[in-house]
Amino acid sequence: MTFRSKLFVNFMLALLLSVGLVTAGVTVVTRHAFDEINREHTDALVSQFQKEFERRGHDVLNRVQGIADAEPTVRMAIDLSRPNADISVYVNDARGVAQSHQLNFLDFVGTDGSIISSAEWSARFGYKMEWVTQKEDWATRGSFLMKLDTQDGPALALMAVATVRVGDKDLYVVGGERLGKEFLASLVLPSNMRALLYLNLDPKFEPANLIDSTGPVNEAERFEPVIERERTQPVVQTAKIDWTFDAASAEIFHVIPQLGRQNELLGVLLIGDSQRSVVTLERHILWLAIGVAAIGILFGLMLSWWVAARVTRPVQKLAAGAREVSEGNWNTRVVVRGRDEVGQLAQSFNQMTQQLVDQRERLIQAERVAAWREVARRLAHELKNPLFPLQTTVENLQRASGQNPEQFEEVFRESTGILLSEIENLKAIVGRFSDFAKMPQPELGPVDLNTIVRNVEKLFEAQFSAVGRPPITPELHLAEGLPTIQADATLLRRAVENLILNAMDAMPAGGVLMLRTTNGDGDVHLEVSDTGTGLTPEETERIFTPYYTTKQHGTGLGLAIVQAIVADHGGRISVESETGVGTAFHVELPTRPPHHQAAPVVIEEENEEA
Amino acid sequence: MKLRLCLCLAAISVVLSAAGPLRPARRPRYGGTLRVEIGAIIHSLDPTVAAVNPEEAGAKAELDALLYDRRGENGDFVGTAGSGPFRLSAWEAGKSAVFAANEDYREGRPFVDSIEIQMGRSAHDRVLDLELNKADFAQIPAELARQAADRGVRVSASRANELLALVFLTGRGATENARVREAIARCIDRAAIVNFILQKEGEPAGGLLPQWSSGTAFLFSTEADARGAKEIWAQISPSPKLVLGYDSADALEQSVAERIVVDAKEAGISLVSRAIPAPEKAIVHGGSESPAPHSEALHVDARLVRLRMPSPLPSVSLAAFIDRLGPLAGINGSPLPKSASPEDVYDSERSIINGGSVVPLVWLPQVYGLSARVRDWKQPAAGESWPLADVWLDSTTDAH
Repeated sequence: MTFRSKLFVNFMLALLLSVGLVTAGVTVVTRHAFDEINREHTDALVSQFQKEFERRGHDVLNRVQGIADAEPTVRMAIDLSRPNADISVYVNDARGVAQSHQLNFLDFVGTDGSIISSAEWSARFGYKMEWVTQKEDWATRGSFLMKLDTQDGPALALMAVATVRVGDKDLYVVGGERLGKEFLASLVLPSNMRALLYLNLDPKFEPANLIDSTGPVNEAERFEPVIERERTQPVVQTAKIDWTFDAASAEIFHVIPQLGRQNELLGVLLIGDSQRSVVTLERHILWLAIGVAAIGILFGLMLSWWVAARVTRPVQKLAAGAREVSEGNWNTRVVVRGRDEVGQLAQSFNQMTQQLVDQRERLIQAERVAAWREVARRLAHELKNPLFPLQTTVENLQRASGQNPEQFEEVFRESTGILLSEIENLKAIVGRFSDFAKMPQPELGPVDLNTIVRNVEKLFEAQFSAVGRPPITPELHLAEGLPTIQADATLLRRAVENLILNAMDAMPAGGVLMLRTTNGDGDVHLEVSDTGTGLTPEETERIFTPYYTTKQHGTGLGLAIVQAIVADHGGRISVESETGVGTAFHVELPTRPPHHQAAPVVIEEENEEA
Repeated sequence: MKLRLCLCLAAISVVLSAAGPLRPARRPRYGGTLRVEIGAIIHSLDPTVAAVNPEEAGAKAELDALLYDRRGENGDFVGTAGSGPFRLSAWEAGKSAVFAANEDYREGRPFVDSIEIQMGRSAHDRVLDLELNKADFAQIPAELARQAADRGVRVSASRANELLALVFLTGRGATENARVREAIARCIDRAAIVNFILQKEGEPAGGLLPQWSSGTAFLFSTEADARGAKEIWAQISPSPKLVLGYDSADALEQSVAERIVVDAKEAGISLVSRAIPAPEKAIVHGGSESPAPHSEALHVDARLVRLRMPSPLPSVSLAAFIDRLGPLAGINGSPLPKSASPEDVYDSERSIINGGSVVPLVWLPQVYGLSARVRDWKQPAAGESWPLADVWLDSTTDAH
């Protein structure tokens, strides 16, 4: 995985985590906010209902008081206060008065509690309504809930009592409104809310007693636990009913007990708040959050890719520069804009490569001087040996010129023979130096390394078993399927020959010469090892130095030529040796040698779109 | 001895009733149109066409009495239409009719030139029209008599001659138990019905005949006994749930039924009232009423029945009542002859009352509202028709 990919993945993980947390946070906060708003909304409505209920109570009380204060009622009270008053004339009065005052219930009750006239149940005249005569200050009592007996059965009503006193006799005006579906229908509620009323008229829960503004409620038995709790302990509570598996079908009911004069539970008001709109809105927000998150992730994806590319591009250039340097192209420059850490790193890199180039130049100069010195030394050494016989021979000729002609002739022939021989030596020495100096540039072509190794080995087979010297046993371990490489076959053959000659020189007592080729990663390997006397560590370090030799008559150019050929092919040669065990040379040749450029490599900053 | 004295006084009362009130001293005049309003809707005056309901039958009988000369032995009108004191002048079925004075009537021309009859007027509208002098004559419910009089309407009430009774229908399992019937009969507060619902325009009824007719009505108790009713009901197990039916078109029956329900409730008796729609109610055919075939489907255990006396004679009225109640209450007995003795009438009446299937409630008078210009109006005796041929209109009091 590339640095850019890693950076991109990290960006994406961070982005996903952030978006997920934000989305979850928004959802939780939104839900909490909705719950809070919903609760406040419902509390307000419950409070509004309580006020509406109180307002209705005041309204009923005012209407009842208005009836009591009306002239006909006062006249009735005066008439009834008389001895032997005929109450029958008033038996039908309540109905008309109730209608005109829009009361469902209205009773005129005498001082002894006898019903004089009843609007809702006119036939009850004469019977006692004893609770009215109980000692209670009706003027301050206000309205109250009450369970009434009607022709259709028990009913719940919001009642009020007003008193008209004439002398020592009272006329009670008892009026009220039925708490039923009409009452619920008169309540103004938002569209997502509804009001239910349970009439606690029976000893146990009766589904038919639970009504809404249209009549009995469907599936009223679902409310039984709630009602039973109220019957056990009448307090304001909240209950949630899931009508279906869909969360949107749920309703939250705020349960408000309705108590009578004796604090007995007469009714239970349930204000239901449908969760459909809230759940729908929450779902909408959730989907919106998911949509925004998806867009954010997509945008973040592109932004992360762009940022990762922007951040990693200088690093990539630095990596490319480092790769160039590792391939030997030290004259590499990386162009990175900016003064951040990466920019400073690029500057340091450029400084480093510049210093490497400078040091290499200085090293080359130093090596060149050293080489020249070594050449001079070797030349002096090589030329010194033939020169001494030449000088001696010439001096012998000068001395022999004074001798008799017969002796001089003999000395002259011997001397000219020596001179010619030494001159040949000098020519040979000069030729070898000339050959080294004339190392040509490789002409690349497809080359099978195994073929070259096999041919060279055949060339030397005769020498391996030559008479008069200990035999050398060659071993070939050539890898099958070795790829062809781009190389100069002549130079490569010469290098292999030099390595074999070097191995033969290292095994004066005979031994085993092993030639092994292997397939590497993008290159091929050649190992030439012997079982000779081996090298010391110091010799190992200097073995490729031109004109360095450990042999009596070596020129010190064989391995130097090998190294030069390998280097010209972009390869590498190394040696490992152990004294008394043997020496192994490892040659690594790339299948395709790199192009050597004279100009420095400058890695420019790519376009941002790249 | 006491029973005989009462019977003599009752006979004298009946004779005086037949003689009618003394005529006023002023001399009658001919002319004018008598404006009459009735509550019933009469669809046809053809005697062969049956009335839809008892109200129509009663009103049609009253109008027939103006058109026909006399009744036959069986009570049906005989002769041809127009042989009576009036002839039909104009007719709009169900709405109005105009009767013109018959110049050739054998007993002489009526005083008024014509009678305009408006049908389908509600009781309250009739009272209002009388109050506003838009009508000269209208029958008004007894329970509205006091209110009408208080509002200045000239009211004329007859003797109490119509019985409102509670009848336990035969064949109902719940009321086959005599204790159930007794409990309900005991709990009813008749005085409250008379005083409050009828506004004292009537009498509590303990027997089937009024005191003025039989002279023995005082021998039947009219007192309520709620405690006794409660004790009896407590002994009944399982206690049934009963339904009391009443005529949906009769406001008085509804009020009385509701009161009985209240009385029963106070005694712990489970009784509810239910209106019987008009088609379900008894239908009068040729003057006799029979139970509607659908009343079984209404699950009514008892119902209220109005029984109007066909004659001042107790034997005749009782016989008519028995004919009417027999099929409803399952009363069986030998026919009571017209010449039955007062003792026989009492025994028969007592037998029915003791049977418990019929519970007399109240006696109602026939109440009429008259305008100020109507003169020489006399209350018709039981079984008699409206004597409109004998009234005349005072010209000094103009109609509006």
